[in-house]
Amino acid sequence: MSFISRLLRKNISPARIAGFILSNFIGLAIVLGGLIFYLDARSIWDSEDSFIRSDYLVINKKVTSENTLKGASSFSENEFKEILNQPWVRKAAPFTAASYRVRASLNQGGRGMSTAMFFESIPDEYVDVPKSQWSWKEGSDEVPLIISKDYLTLYNFGFASAAGLPQMSEGLMSGIPLAITISDEDGNNAIRLNGRVAGYSNRLNTILVPQNFMDWSNRMLAENSDWSDRSHQSDNSKISNPARIIIDVNSPGDVAINDFLASHDYEVAGDKTAASASFLLKLVVGIVLAIGGVITVLSLFILMLSVSLLMEKNRDKLHSLLMLGYPLGKVGAPYCRIVITASAAAGILAFIASALLRNAYLEPLRGLGAGTGSLWPVIILDLILTAIIILFNILAVRKKVKASWRISR
Amino acid sequence: MPTPPKKEKEKMITTISIEHALPRVFVSEKIPASDVWQTSLKLRRGEKYLIEAASGGGKSSLCAYIFGSRTDYEGRILFDSVDVASFNIDKWQEIRRRHIAYLPQELSLFPELTAWENIQLKNRLTSHVPDSRIEEWMEMIGIAGRRDYPCGRMSIGQQQRVAIIRSICQPFDFILLDEPVSHLDEENNRIAARMIAEEAARQGAAIVSTSVGNPLLLPDPIKLSL
Repeated sequence: MSFISRLLRKNISPARIAGFILSNFIGLAIVLGGLIFYLDARSIWDSEDSFIRSDYLVINKKVTSENTLKGASSFSENEFKEILNQPWVRKAAPFTAASYRVRASLNQGGRGMSTAMFFESIPDEYVDVPKSQWSWKEGSDEVPLIISKDYLTLYNFGFASAAGLPQMSEGLMSGIPLAITISDEDGNNAIRLNGRVAGYSNRLNTILVPQNFMDWSNRMLAENSDWSDRSHQSDNSKISNPARIIIDVNSPGDVAINDFLASHDYEVAGDKTAASASFLLKLVVGIVLAIGGVITVLSLFILMLSVSLLMEKNRDKLHSLLMLGYPLGKVGAPYCRIVITASAAAGILAFIASALLRNAYLEPLRGLGAGTGSLWPVIILDLILTAIIILFNILAVRKKVKASWRISR
Repeated sequence: MPTPPKKEKEKMITTISIEHALPRVFVSEKIPASDVWQTSLKLRRGEKYLIEAASGGGKSSLCAYIFGSRTDYEGRILFDSVDVASFNIDKWQEIRRRHIAYLPQELSLFPELTAWENIQLKNRLTSHVPDSRIEEWMEMIGIAGRRDYPCGRMSIGQQQRVAIIRSICQPFDFILLDEPVSHLDEENNRIAARMIAEEAARQGAAIVSTSVGNPLLLPDPIKLSL
């Protein structure tokens, strides 16, 4: 050890340094543990429906006898504008409904079923499926579909068992071509198409087709249009209103959303728990991170105070070394080494602790359907926080060395 | 014997000018006539100066002003033609390593380090003289036997001799010695004076020594009174 280190390390209080390492370790471990948990747990809700992000809400009007009689179960243009003007709305779009007849049939080795269906569409930007899987070109007879998981359940446990048809998994169903016939209200002008199931959704109780297919088929077959369909409005068309609206919201758990929906008698379609659970997760993790953050900041000050006190005790020595001509950096170096060693130790321990914590909860969490998040964000955050603590303390050491340069009399 | 590198010679300090300087504490007082305060004084490289004063005359203050560790004075101090008030900390540290050596009255030795370590603390910073030279000096001035003694356990006279050796373990244009031999007998005083004068002569440097009655026994110094 150099003479300088020997001189300047005198008066070091191991208890104070240990106090810093412990508090910094606790603070960082809470922050890192919280983040690691969030990264792992969020997939429980996020992965449930990969077609529609959790901050998209699908709303419709409550179906009541009164609404039905008044014909007011769909959204008028003014109501849509009112929704667009809400502060929690990022963007919104109405569902476009097919105003023609749809018939689908499934043929399995001679035994088959045929059913009347309907189509709806939303702008492609709301559908989270790769472009290659979710596109339709005019002239193509293959149409991609996203259908509600409930329909498959209905088929498997209702229809199939009653009709003696085999049950089908999602994968199997996707592999079987669906013969689709669309025709106008009177059953004329039939167009034959092949449906391909691109995915199943928990949150969309509908059969979704690409927007451009909807526009094209409505133009071909429908007499009606709604106000949102600007491409298809002629003098003789009857204007109908969309029944559902998809909204991109800033924060799915916002109380203002529920208040607004309740006061207007609107309903959120599909699984609402995902959005609120995901919001709750964010809230809880936010609180945990804030607590860990506060402890980390406090530990930063503990280290600054300990080093400052140590340097104050050695102030005469610092001054004497500076009088000998030692550069500021060399005089501060032993303290910088203490800071770096202690902070690095706390940072490494905190990472190990959060990794152990993860091992403890990962098994049960997997049972809930969680995936494994990447560790990189945690490592990077650990490095950043440790670097900030080191940087602040090194600046404080430099300041203190400068202050020792001239002892006022 | 090693000579200072050429580069340092190029930017050496040749004169220290003290222009109408006065410690602030003296400003409201009437002070006796002085060769230093409230006048113009030029200290030149290569000369030997002996500044004598009564206690409280401001000797240590003068050294601290020239060395940059205090600034509570009126007037100006210039190194060559540059006002020292314009120097930043890094510049001062460089001056302390290469141009001005200083032996403060309070010695500023580290009591927990041995005589040898205290001297090496300076010499390792400047890489100025070989270890053998330091051992020679310790032998000359009679502290070779205390080489590995902690300074805190040595007498003031012995500590003063350690501090004298430490002060010349660096390149310098001026060496400021604040009552360097106050606790030495005449024989050790002469040895110290010879040692310092030899090192200063080797470097072509000036010696500025203060005393309150036991002056460093330099041959033919320029005497100044505070």
